[in-house]
Amino acid sequence: MTRDRALKRAADMDQRTHLEIGARPFPSPHKMFSAIRAYLLRRSEDINRKNNPIQLLKFIESNGVASIVLGPGIDKGPTPQHFHFDSGARLSFGLILRERDGGSQLVEFRYHYQLPDQLPASPSPGYFRFDLNKAPHTDPLSEPRCHLHPGLEDVRLPISLHDPFEILDRIFFVLEKSG
Amino acid sequence: MPDFSSQPFVEIAQRLEVQGAHSWLAILSSGGDPTAACDDLGTELESLLQMPVRVVSLKSSSFDRLREQLHQPEDDTVILFASADLEAGEWSSLDTMRSALERTGPIVLWIAPDAVAQLTQLAPNIRSFIGSSIFLAGPEPGIMSDKERENRLEELRQHYQLSDQEIVRRAKAKELPPEPHFVEWLVLLGRGDLV
Repeated sequence: MTRDRALKRAADMDQRTHLEIGARPFPSPHKMFSAIRAYLLRRSEDINRKNNPIQLLKFIESNGVASIVLGPGIDKGPTPQHFHFDSGARLSFGLILRERDGGSQLVEFRYHYQLPDQLPASPSPGYFRFDLNKAPHTDPLSEPRCHLHPGLEDVRLPISLHDPFEILDRIFFVLEKSG
Repeated sequence: MPDFSSQPFVEIAQRLEVQGAHSWLAILSSGGDPTAACDDLGTELESLLQMPVRVVSLKSSSFDRLREQLHQPEDDTVILFASADLEAGEWSSLDTMRSALERTGPIVLWIAPDAVAQLTQLAPNIRSFIGSSIFLAGPEPGIMSDKERENRLEELRQHYQLSDQEIVRRAKAKELPPEPHFVEWLVLLGRGDLV
């Protein structure tokens, strides 16, 4: 019974996320792409590592659904396509938007912030990944729609819905600065 | 016509940012839909310069009307759109009112490549404002190339050990897992209609 109640609460949370997505319109996918690139260009000026967001950030769309990506889809080690931080950490992400009423709506995202390689005994979590799933999972308790992986693939902690810039804010101004 | 370098709008916006207030720059663009291209340029300028952008057409604009448009307000970015049919008299009038064109915010003059000769001959003062800042509108570097698209698809196929056909089949049957990657997979396949 307790788990059933927990599942119900988790499902309610997913429903709130769903409603919030519908209530948060964004500019058109192309404008979002341009604004994210401008954001990354600004951040690049603040760090010593050389990154070229103009080459790193990519855009593709099909039938009113747009994908904005940076770096590999699956982090298997550093690549020239990652955004690299002074700490040695690296960032890759993917964001999907659907065109709607001249603007767009969030469909899903995945922001993977990989901490620098640590010694085996290090307390570092290894990585943080912010995910927004396209749809609710059948087990919303284990996999909330909007969640954070604290360095563990099977652990998904629910988080409030963040927009694409709010996640970048946390990565650039919180996670990276605390490294 | 001398050779001008081709620059994507985002790099043109960066140049304008470095040049700062009172700057002038010209973009040569031919082909395509000029209204859509101006909108794309406006998007890049707004994103990078963090200020409003307006498109002002030079065609059939009176001296007073143009002066008012450029100075109310005078600190935003203005794209001065010179259509291909701008006549000699209109170029000369533009040059005559050069003092009225001076403003705090940057100006981007949008012209067809073959209008550079008219600009030089009929509006030499405007041409001097622009100096060497003339660029051909270049392609958007952020558009994913076919090779990049194929590389991402291969990365997903290898990771999930699934074929493109299987992803499409599952999408049609509404059996795709909810986590990120699978929608991107469909977009990469040009099947956004299944999202």
